[in-house]
Amino acid sequence: MTAIDASNASAPSDAAVLARPARTGWTPRRRQLVGSTSVLAVLLLAWQLLPQALGTPSYVVPVLSDVLVALFDPAAFPRYLEAAGATMTEVGLGLAIGVGLGLALAITLAQLPTLYGIVFPYVVAIESIPKVAIAPLFVIWFGFGLSSKVVVVVLLAFFPVLVNTIHGLRSVDRDQVDLFRVNGATPMQVRLRLLVPASLPQIFSGLELAVAASMIGAIVAEFVGAQKGLGVLILQAQGRMETPAVFALLIILSALGIGLNVLVRLLRRLVVTWERH
Amino acid sequence: MSALVELDRLSKVYSTRTGDVVALQGITLTIDEGEFVAVVGPSGCGKTTLLKILANLEQHTGGTGILGNRELGGKASDDVGMVFQKATLLPWLDILANVLLPVTLKRRASAADREAAMDLLRMVGLEEFAHKRPDELSGGMQQRAAICRALVHHPSLLLMDEPFGALDAMTRDALNVEVNRIWRETHKTAVLITHSIPEAVFLAQRVIVMSARPGRIVEEIEIPFGRERTLELMGTPEFAALSARIRRDFEVKAA
Repeated sequence: MTAIDASNASAPSDAAVLARPARTGWTPRRRQLVGSTSVLAVLLLAWQLLPQALGTPSYVVPVLSDVLVALFDPAAFPRYLEAAGATMTEVGLGLAIGVGLGLALAITLAQLPTLYGIVFPYVVAIESIPKVAIAPLFVIWFGFGLSSKVVVVVLLAFFPVLVNTIHGLRSVDRDQVDLFRVNGATPMQVRLRLLVPASLPQIFSGLELAVAASMIGAIVAEFVGAQKGLGVLILQAQGRMETPAVFALLIILSALGIGLNVLVRLLRRLVVTWERH
Repeated sequence: MSALVELDRLSKVYSTRTGDVVALQGITLTIDEGEFVAVVGPSGCGKTTLLKILANLEQHTGGTGILGNRELGGKASDDVGMVFQKATLLPWLDILANVLLPVTLKRRASAADREAAMDLLRMVGLEEFAHKRPDELSGGMQQRAAICRALVHHPSLLLMDEPFGALDAMTRDALNVEVNRIWRETHKTAVLITHSIPEAVFLAQRVIVMSARPGRIVEEIEIPFGRERTLELMGTPEFAALSARIRRDFEVKAA
């Protein structure tokens, strides 16, 4: 009984279900982990040694140790902390509003085919605009405070969630819908017990994109005009030619971005438990 | 035996931009309680449409249809269990919760409901898999679970739409034997849509042959074998003769 039809290719055969091989020593996963750690070590070493070897001045590319000194400078720490707090507040608020709006509009549009037909071309059109370019306008409209940054983040987080969620809702299997209808499910039951859970993988893919986009949105908006935030500190450090501090701030920014991404993926694993990784 | 399904000159016309398409025409058919009927025909003969009308997923446009003591085309009836071509299990629920879905869409599942679901899973040899997720099961096991789901709410009519079309031949034979046993043990009325003439002859007491465009019934053949069917039956000359006769009908009348 080796033949399994293509449509069920992902399903294990009866025999495979009963006898899964035990894990041993060098799994591909462990090999990958060791590999990527080695790459990191080589890169960090090159960063420390190459600028000196090539005689590159510190204000162009500082060596790793200079960056680490700037990063762990106790005098700078309160400023970093305050700026990171401001930036993450923008990201958090914008993300929450953008994701909420994106989900709500997606569920509405997926249920109203006519409205979907009218609105979706515009969604696609706006999607293809580089939206950070509108940031200067938002500073004019909403000022130099928190709100202009939040609006930029909302705009950037909204679209990936909207597009991915609509895609998920609309690609739900017809037979699954028929299954619910044949068993007398109400439209609300179809929505909550079929459409939303079935779209969760795509919703989370949208969320991952939204998180990345919202970090970009917050920093660019801060570049354009702000009083607080990591983007502001980067501009200030650049103005003083303190390149090690710029790199230190980039490291903080990357760490926050990666942290947020890991958080979303962790949440995805907890919620979308039926997904294969 | 009293009739469970009575269709009288039932028809279905789809209105499309390029004009009306007659999917079903003059379907007159009576199915007795406890009977097993198979419907065969070329693709596009409307057999799936017929099944969807019986399931109240689509409305007929002419004639009358009665299922049990109600007219077809009214409110969705929960008196039907349906098995689709794919298992159509929800990947976020375990097998037991999937089987219980027709119940939990109505009310909270009781201990008796759980017991009924476990009995069904036991009947198809899946009791150990009750708390596994669908993707941990093979295609054949998934389709067995889907059959349990179609039966858990004690519907009077079991509808199967090419249920084993996506499975390999060995699994398919095993499931056909299983379906025969389930039908005998549960005394359900069953309608099977299939492409496979041997499958129809193997399972049904009566085979309906339909033709394409417009979908009509062109032949009804009684299958004289007893209720219990075994795979050996497929090797007998009688089985071959009946299959050949239906294949002829298929080619001459249904083409």
